Amino acid sequence: MFLRLLYESFARQRRRKLLAGLAILLGTTAVTAMLALATTIGDRIHQELAVYGANIVVTPKADQLAVKIGGVDIKPATGGAYLKESDLAKLKTIFWANNITGISPELPIKVDLSIYGGATANDLLGIGLWFDHPLTGGTMTGAPQLHPWWKIEGSWPKGPGQLVVGRALATKYNIHVPMRAGLAIPGAQNGIDDVVIYGILDSGDDSENKVFMTLNTAQNLNGTPDAISRVDISAQTKPEDAFARQDPDTLTPAKREIWYCRPYANSIAYQIREAIPGADAQQVRKVEQSEGTVLERISGLMWLISAAALLAAGFAVSAAMATAVLERRGEIGLMRSLGASRTAIALLFYAENGLLAIVAGAIGYLAGSALAYTLGAHIFSGVSTTHALNPVLLPIVVALALIVAIAGSTPSIRAALKQDPSAILRGDA
Amino acid sequence: MKLTLGSIIRRSLIHRRSRSLSALTAMTVSAGVATALLTLYASLDTKLHKEFRSFGANIVVTAPANTPNLAEQVKKAAGPEALTAPFAYAVATTDRGTPVVVAGVDFPAVRAIDSTWQADAWPTAPNAALVGQKAANFIADERTLALTFAGQKQTFASAGHLRTGGDEDSRIYISQADFAGWTHASPTVVEVQIPGGAPQVEAALGRLRAQLPGLEVEPVRQLVEGESRIVDKTHALMFGAVLLIALTVGVSVLATLSASVLERRRDFALMKALGGTQLQMMALFLLETVLLASAGVATGWLLGSAAAWAISETNFHTATLPRPQVLPLVLLLNLAIAAMAALLPARALSTLEPASLLKGE
Repeated sequence: MFLRLLYESFARQRRRKLLAGLAILLGTTAVTAMLALATTIGDRIHQELAVYGANIVVTPKADQLAVKIGGVDIKPATGGAYLKESDLAKLKTIFWANNITGISPELPIKVDLSIYGGATANDLLGIGLWFDHPLTGGTMTGAPQLHPWWKIEGSWPKGPGQLVVGRALATKYNIHVPMRAGLAIPGAQNGIDDVVIYGILDSGDDSENKVFMTLNTAQNLNGTPDAISRVDISAQTKPEDAFARQDPDTLTPAKREIWYCRPYANSIAYQIREAIPGADAQQVRKVEQSEGTVLERISGLMWLISAAALLAAGFAVSAAMATAVLERRGEIGLMRSLGASRTAIALLFYAENGLLAIVAGAIGYLAGSALAYTLGAHIFSGVSTTHALNPVLLPIVVALALIVAIAGSTPSIRAALKQDPSAILRGDA
Repeated sequence: MKLTLGSIIRRSLIHRRSRSLSALTAMTVSAGVATALLTLYASLDTKLHKEFRSFGANIVVTAPANTPNLAEQVKKAAGPEALTAPFAYAVATTDRGTPVVVAGVDFPAVRAIDSTWQADAWPTAPNAALVGQKAANFIADERTLALTFAGQKQTFASAGHLRTGGDEDSRIYISQADFAGWTHASPTVVEVQIPGGAPQVEAALGRLRAQLPGLEVEPVRQLVEGESRIVDKTHALMFGAVLLIALTVGVSVLATLSASVLERRRDFALMKALGGTQLQMMALFLLETVLLASAGVATGWLLGSAAAWAISETNFHTATLPRPQVLPLVLLLNLAIAAMAALLPARALSTLEPASLLKGE
């Protein structure tokens, strides 16, 4: 009997059920979409913030003191300390290896550039970098990835015979791409006679005065194979809090373990220092700290808006449910006069609304996930690393829909049950 | 007693109190949500740009050595809203004979612009120095920090170490006055921080370049570009969220209100049987819902403004003041919903025969 009543209620009041279902569906769609966006916003904003460059730099611990003003080395170090390029593979073994999204080693050298049929530029700052170097998981990394504001006219060097020069140099020496030139170390015999300048770099900073080549080219020219003097690392980190600022060596072993296993910039830098001998890894505070606040603010905003969406959808759905019950007071009166108990009637209405909430909530979950995915893909460039469907959200959203539907209809069910059936049936109520 | 439209509406609202109250609640919620989101949305850009200021300067002015009054000129050209911090540089030698960059700065100005610098203590006393964490490794005695510039030996006291993770770690910072007295050099670099987004920075660039010919004025490109992009994306995301939530609330309110109008088929039929015209019926329903909607907007605006204030206080730690400018839009939105909720069922009812309705068919 109960099941038949339930079935008939859905079969005969299709339009009314459709309206209440639509309210739940829209509500869960909005809530799912907001929650799905809020949970992935951290990764997405991190990708966007990558434009500010590396948040961790690694330098040789035994390095000489840099004497740099405005990015220009005034007293270039001679025979400075180096790190080993081959040691960079060890970055893949640290605890937070998967959080490292970009690595860019460099080796600065002095070069003379003689353009065929043109001027000779002496004592330029050359720099060896990675271009399209494979990182884990098939992604590429290197200097262009860590300096997204660099704009290249032409193409990046791919081998020993290829160069890129900065815009300032190109203007000064009237360089066009492609152009042939000779490259040599000042005062030394070794050099490459025939190189092709394939690109001109616009960076808006002092890099426009440099000559770019592959790391291998610079190492061979300099006679220092495997040597690098600095590594820029872009890592996905957790914004710094009071705990992150503690010195791990002063913590108790248990606390130290917790500190070590959180993706703070400080912990990752600490692990890099452990992994690479002779390395000094530091967080770039300007980038790391600012990214932390921006990330916190934007995801905080999303969470608060999600909460507001939840509240509003809850109100709206419960109002719609309440109306649906109020409309059916006549039915309630009839059932009561036919001898149905209050509990049985309440149970019937709750079962109806519950069923509606589960079905509409599940559809709303799908619609919301799809909406979040399209919205995210539309607004943020780049491939999202997360799947469109977040299975954790399904039970949450359906449970919320259930709670809201039942809580929303309770006051009107109670009110309808309290009234005298004969009064309802006469239409006096 | 003469029946006027006003008295019918008054009686209708009072007599069905619980119904009126639930419709009012629905309208209040929709107005409140719209107000909160629109208020936040309107101040979002300003708030986000403010957060981006912790990235430091967005314009750098470089001048040849011994440019007189450089800092003052830049400050004047940049405008009163901008923060400026002049830097003077010299290469001195430490007590261990290592060359080191010494910078003369105005400490409060640097602290304001480069808020992410981590200093053990900011120097205040004369002849106090802030020593970069790498530079500290090349100094034998930090308490009597002896530096030599062009044969001139000067002693400073280290106030503490500076950690930035950048070039600053390899430098020693002293106050402008101490620096000028020692090296007789004036600032050559001024960091400028313009509040706001790319258009403001562009305008300031133009002003600086026009008023300071011969100086190198460059934007910090990655900062300006990245900032605009992230602010725009967050803006778009918020816009999507606002639309989505407004739609949800709007449809639910529409469902609630139109159901309550539909429920009054009997009133409708009775009035029609007593000689009411279709137009009068429509006007009655419309007026009733519009009245409820207006009351909902009034309370909703107050509640929504409070919600916006609370959200921005928790998230951005700055207050968002209520914006009367959003009121017309919220009112329009809610009136549209109310009108639709009243007129759609009224139209459906107009085709029905009053007699059959009254009989209860």
